[in-house]
Amino acid sequence: MAWRNIWRNKVRSVVIITSIALGLVAGIFIMGLYDGMLTDRLNTVIRQEVSHLQLHNPEFQKDYEAIYSIEHAMEIVELIRSEDYVKAVSARTIAHGMLATSTGSAGVQITGVQQDDEHLVSRLNDKLIEGEGLVGDRRNPIVIGKKLADKVKISLGSKLVLTFTDREYNIVSAAFRVTGIYQSANAPLDERNVYVQSADLNRLMLLEDACHEIAVLLNSDNELVVAQQKLSGRYPELMIENWQQLSPETKLMIETTDTYSIIFIGIIMLALMFGIINTMLMAILERTREIGMLVALGMNKLRLFLLVLWETVLLTLAGAPFGLILSWLVIMYFNQSGIDISSFSGAAMSGFGFSSLLYPEFPWLKIPLVLYIVGVTALLASLFPSYKALRLVPVEAMRQ
Amino acid sequence: MDTIIDAHHVTKTYNPKTIPVVAVNSVHMHLERGEFTALVGPSGSGKTTLLNLIGGLDKPDTGSIMIHGTDITRLSANQLIDFRLRNIGFVFQAFNLIPVLSARENVELIMQLQGLPKNEINQRVETLFHQIGLEDKLDTRPAQLSGGQQQRVAVARALASRPQVVLADEPTANLDSKSAANLLDIMAKLNQEENMTFIFSTHDQRVIERARRVITLVDGKIFSDTAVVDTSLPHGISPA
Repeated sequence: MAWRNIWRNKVRSVVIITSIALGLVAGIFIMGLYDGMLTDRLNTVIRQEVSHLQLHNPEFQKDYEAIYSIEHAMEIVELIRSEDYVKAVSARTIAHGMLATSTGSAGVQITGVQQDDEHLVSRLNDKLIEGEGLVGDRRNPIVIGKKLADKVKISLGSKLVLTFTDREYNIVSAAFRVTGIYQSANAPLDERNVYVQSADLNRLMLLEDACHEIAVLLNSDNELVVAQQKLSGRYPELMIENWQQLSPETKLMIETTDTYSIIFIGIIMLALMFGIINTMLMAILERTREIGMLVALGMNKLRLFLLVLWETVLLTLAGAPFGLILSWLVIMYFNQSGIDISSFSGAAMSGFGFSSLLYPEFPWLKIPLVLYIVGVTALLASLFPSYKALRLVPVEAMRQ
Repeated sequence: MDTIIDAHHVTKTYNPKTIPVVAVNSVHMHLERGEFTALVGPSGSGKTTLLNLIGGLDKPDTGSIMIHGTDITRLSANQLIDFRLRNIGFVFQAFNLIPVLSARENVELIMQLQGLPKNEINQRVETLFHQIGLEDKLDTRPAQLSGGQQQRVAVARALASRPQVVLADEPTANLDSKSAANLLDIMAKLNQEENMTFIFSTHDQRVIERARRVITLVDGKIFSDTAVVDTSLPHGISPA
């Protein structure tokens, strides 16, 4: 009876069902967009920035002093590389210092790497937009970010001087020549991170076979916990951290974005709730006489309440399947084609480490929660119309 | 005799604080089981108000109304709903069938509200539709039925719960002569077969002629109460 009542005024019901469906499409699309952005950011964080796991001397991250290195690094790297859950390993020597040119200077993190290893861990070669990077026989090559290059006004082939301290706390300055300029999705990182050959940096910092950081990329994200436990057991003298510990802001971003998208859906449903209430109130008003008659015949208040509630829930839930299907289609379309927002907010997105080409993902895991919100909306929307129906006095209602 | 309705000093005044209108004024009424009674009188005489009071749709200001031993003026709103469901059948002037339900579903609804088992409901529906002669219209929506057919379904609905009393407010007002006569035949037959008490409020002379008792109301008071004696015919059945 409730279902048939909905279709007494087909146009009105179709309008409200369509509104609910479109509201869901908007909400789920935003969720999908956030999910796509987060997946993209997570991939960038893991596969281009911090990797799955990093090994450090426990003292190193306090002050980034050169003396707190990992000794016999190459031996450790080879052992880790031989594990079946490991995809790639890169040993990094790290120094914090000043980059100076004839036209400017900037504080930088100098990362000494072997380019091939680093490429496997953080796709360094793919980020190169000019030059060949650290390959070749040139002495002291350096790869710098485009943003930094623009800031200090240098280009491919330019010379610059890096100043930093070695492991004996001596200030060391060395000239480097720009052999590559890279650009990643993370503009702040591009501005402060430069790459040199680990052999050059180790020599200048008197580190020999040591490094400061071993970055480990796993075959699968799912192996993170097991891999961390295994490596922690094998190297108890080292601090082994996963990406969530290394990039807590990313973890926080994922958590807060989930909350924001739920709030967004909640706001949409709240707005729709008033439409549903209005529709149901009109339906009750039109059926005043009939409701009075039902009560006269013996329909008790509980049954009447359930009738109106059920009508409201069905009306609301009728829009849900259409909304879900439509949002899936829209998200799948943009998942293939991508949404290019570079023309209006690309720089801003890059500033927060996000790509300007967004690929929304259908948020399967959040759909039960969305349906729960829709259900709660329906229940809340039914309360006022039910109250109005219950307030009808049969004799007066039947006079109308 | 089995007393079904026993009303004493029943008074109902509308707008008591502004412009009081005494719709029913100290009415006494006594009906036995199986009576076929017409409430007549000019417009505004209090017929519908008295029916509403007897049906428990409205409460009198003073007096008591006993329906088969229960003083309905003392029942709470929820108790009254349940009482109506089990003891009172209503037939309205405008039929008041639910348009989204079929004829069968309209009749079933009352029994579902009573919580009767499915097989009992089915049997009762078949019996009632046979009695009203609409076996072939079970699954027809009200909009596809004529006015007379709709009112017959409304009668079946009123009788579905096997009530003590059937209250019919101007049941023939919207029907043509043939449909009205047909409806009255059916109600008289059901009155006979089911031994239910029928009370009609009406202006319709055709109904008055078929009633076995006619109570005339004027200005909310019983002006006359006349029993029609026709020993040759069962209750309300018209001569051929």
